[in-house]
Amino acid sequence: MEFDTLLSARALMGLSLVFHTFFTPLGIGLPLLLFMAEGMALWKKDERYRQLARAWTPAVGLLFAVGAVSGTVLSFELGLLWPRFMEYAGGIIGMPFSLEGFAFFTEAIFLAVYIYGWNRMSAFAHWLVTIPIVISSAVSAVFVISANAWMNVPEGFRVVDGQVVDVNPWDAMFNAAWLHQAIHGTLASYVVTGFAVAAAYAWLTWRKKPVAHPRLALQLAMVVAAVSIPLQIVAGDFAAKRVAELQPVKFAAMEGQYETQRGAPLRIGGIPVDGETRFAIEIPKMLSWLGYGDLDAEVMGLNDVPPEDRPNELLTHLSFQVMVGAGFALLFIAGWYWAAWWRRRGVAPGWMPGRALSAALVASGFLAFAALQTGWFVTEFGRQPWVVYGYLRTADGVTEREGILGFFILFTLLYIVISVALVVALVKWPHGPRRAARLPGAAGKEAEGVA
Amino acid sequence: MSPELAAAGVALVAVMMYAVFGGADFGGGAWSLLASGPRKAEQRLALEKAIGPVWETNHVWLILLVVTLFVVFPAAYAVIFEALYVPLFLALVGIVARGAAFAFRHYGNRESRLARQSLQWFSWASVLTPFTFGLVIGAVTGGHIEVEGTTVLSGAFAGWLRPFALMCGLIGLLICAFLAASFMVARTEGELREDFRRRAIAASLALGAATTAAIPVAAWDADAFASHLDDARVVGAMGVTALLGLAGLWALRTRRYRLAPPLAAATVAGVVGAWGLAQEPYLLANALTYEAAAAERITVVSFLVALPIGALILIPSLWLLYWTFSRDTLRGEEVAH
Ligand code: HDD
Ligand code: HEM
Ligand code: HEM
Repeated sequence: MEFDTLLSARALMGLSLVFHTFFTPLGIGLPLLLFMAEGMALWKKDERYRQLARAWTPAVGLLFAVGAVSGTVLSFELGLLWPRFMEYAGGIIGMPFSLEGFAFFTEAIFLAVYIYGWNRMSAFAHWLVTIPIVISSAVSAVFVISANAWMNVPEGFRVVDGQVVDVNPWDAMFNAAWLHQAIHGTLASYVVTGFAVAAAYAWLTWRKKPVAHPRLALQLAMVVAAVSIPLQIVAGDFAAKRVAELQPVKFAAMEGQYETQRGAPLRIGGIPVDGETRFAIEIPKMLSWLGYGDLDAEVMGLNDVPPEDRPNELLTHLSFQVMVGAGFALLFIAGWYWAAWWRRRGVAPGWMPGRALSAALVASGFLAFAALQTGWFVTEFGRQPWVVYGYLRTADGVTEREGILGFFILFTLLYIVISVALVVALVKWPHGPRRAARLPGAAGKEAEGVA
Repeated sequence: MSPELAAAGVALVAVMMYAVFGGADFGGGAWSLLASGPRKAEQRLALEKAIGPVWETNHVWLILLVVTLFVVFPAAYAVIFEALYVPLFLALVGIVARGAAFAFRHYGNRESRLARQSLQWFSWASVLTPFTFGLVIGAVTGGHIEVEGTTVLSGAFAGWLRPFALMCGLIGLLICAFLAASFMVARTEGELREDFRRRAIAASLALGAATTAAIPVAAWDADAFASHLDDARVVGAMGVTALLGLAGLWALRTRRYRLAPPLAAATVAGVVGAWGLAQEPYLLANALTYEAAAAERITVVSFLVALPIGALILIPSLWLLYWTFSRDTLRGEEVAH
């Protein structure tokens, strides 16, 4: 029974988080695109950019709403599924959560002003409204991720006789894992948004659906994508170095490293089971260098960790491989797009990607989401069997209540219904000029006249 | 006043704000379900348009409440959520269904089948959620949940299926209905306004009756609550609330449309406030006081320091939001298409 509850609770928590993080990266990234589009419209005096922002607005509203609802689910589930964990951790990592609350609130308010303010304020004021949205959404991501970083590298308290004492919420918030997770985790939202929007437009034009200004939209999205992906890879390298130092067990699981070894090889691909990572391409000494900046540095292996303290190395390693693979594939696709554009620039003004590039762009949307989710899998699976690393085991944080499996099934069904409805809503979305023609050309006075 | 008490006050204010803003929002869904008469469709449309711009922010109060609980009173958060996990899970189902359905209807293509089905989901969830929250409030207050330290001893169904909790569930629903109808009175015109005025009067009478009836029910089923009824502050708060309620009724009867919404809001805040005073010093009646449930002092103080700083950003922003949309909310171009 005990095990059942634990497994159901983990599955429900994981499912809810995956659901949440399908929407929230867009809730962080799309405001940036709105900011850019409306800014371009003002700068270039080109109404087409504003029409783009106008066309995206309902989608932003929809995604934000579902994202916020799924966030509410999480804030409940922390108590419903992990009461013992929250009892332990609430007072220590509460700080980032309450600051996050403020950031969400600010975001929700300004987003409402933005969405419903189209015909009520000047174009310039409407552009200004995007700024607090961009900032508060990024800040909220940083805060919530800092709470997660604390679970990986707990700081800011001491335990004496099983009692938490000497709490320092600020030390807990700015723990050693905070910086790398905040940078890498927040940048991920821009990576995902850039490629997801590019994928949507590539798909729509490929299938010859009528869309307003696809070329401009694609350019904007690919600017975001192409700027964020190289930064994301550099941030990922930084994250890996920090993990090597702070969470050597997770590092060993990520890399499929069983033996503690000097000059450890980097393994690309491969399947780590039964004490051996098979079928991997090995690059000698590379892992020591990537992890510690020294070709002969010692890398700890899983065999030196008691079995009951080890994470599932198969899941962790494979997730890590998918994230890194996807990251480099995305880098390639972004480079391809801009190289193709560079060759046609000036020659073919209305240039749109050809078949092969379009297919790659569509794939990039999926790859970006895959990288985001598997990245979280690395973090979460790699921390097991601990919920607070080194302090509280996941099994000790879980609820003692029964019937969690039933709620897991219920929520799975609910999420399926919502996802299907969401896909239907977005697919049936009137993207085309039919809709665009009805849109007021501008925010502000003349739009008031139209309405 | 100790920082812990101040933080408990913050939590109470969050409950009040959620009851007022979230309540009006849920009530909108409930009236949408009960829409009737020749202006059925107009009623629904007006409700939806009024909720539109603010529904998101309305529910952030809930987040604020939950976050306050787990930051400042982690033990209470853990115990209450563990003890009352069944109704809270049900409330959560309602929140998810309602939020998603509203979003689909509001931002999607409104002639579609999806939009029509969403309305059904939305309306039913608008009834389910405030009712289950009412049950939770009733169970927290009733004093039938047994706890040792922070371990919950009583079963999954303890506390929330008792007469007092059911009474609170009903009050929860009526609060929503009363608020939504009173708010709509100020936002509509002509016949439609009369529809909402009649509904607001009916709801206010029902709410008055239910809160009055709750007192004997408490005496019978919830002594933890009833034992506070000789506390002068509690009785005073109840008296003020009753007066506010009567004033609201008077404003509705005499067609003072601008007065009805603030009076309705104040009445509901009063109901919550009286309940909060009667809770003191418990967060979970007879089981967990706010002193015992509090996190370390430094966390509580940091939270209280962060609060006004956050409010400095939030209050002007909220004002901007309500100001932008209070002027003429029911114009045609409102919906974000
Ligand atoms: C678009 C998404 C994306 C892409 C392309 C990458 N990552 Fe990533 N990664 C994430 C999205 C992500 C994430 C989902 O956002 C995580 C989960 C936790 C976090 O802070 O960020 C993450 C975590 C994460 C961690 C674990 C951090 C920890 O547990 O403390 C490491 C070591 C890396 N990443 C390394 C990389 C490397 C070397 C990449 C090179 C290609 C890479 N990531 C690409
Ligand atoms: C946002 C992306 C995230 C994803 C996709 C994600 C994924 C998961 C998954 C799959 C699990 C189950 C772990 C397992 O069964 O091994 C889990 C557990 C958990 N996560 Fe995360 N997580 C995310 C972020 C966070 C954040 C930001 C926090 C807290 C601030 C958090 C807190 C937890 C907790 C408390 C558990 C339960 C205990 C555990 O299994 O370790 N997660 N998450
Ligand atoms: C890395 C992980 C996470 C990221 C990047 C993230 C980001 C966001 C963002 C941007 C929003 C605003 C809504 C939207 O844009 O769609 C949001 C909403 C929310 N998130 Fe998360 N979140 C994460 C994990 C979590 C976790 C673990 C919790 C659990 C407590 C949580 C709780 C919430 C809540 C309560 C809301 C709703 C706030 C509102 O009503 O606006 N989030 N999240």
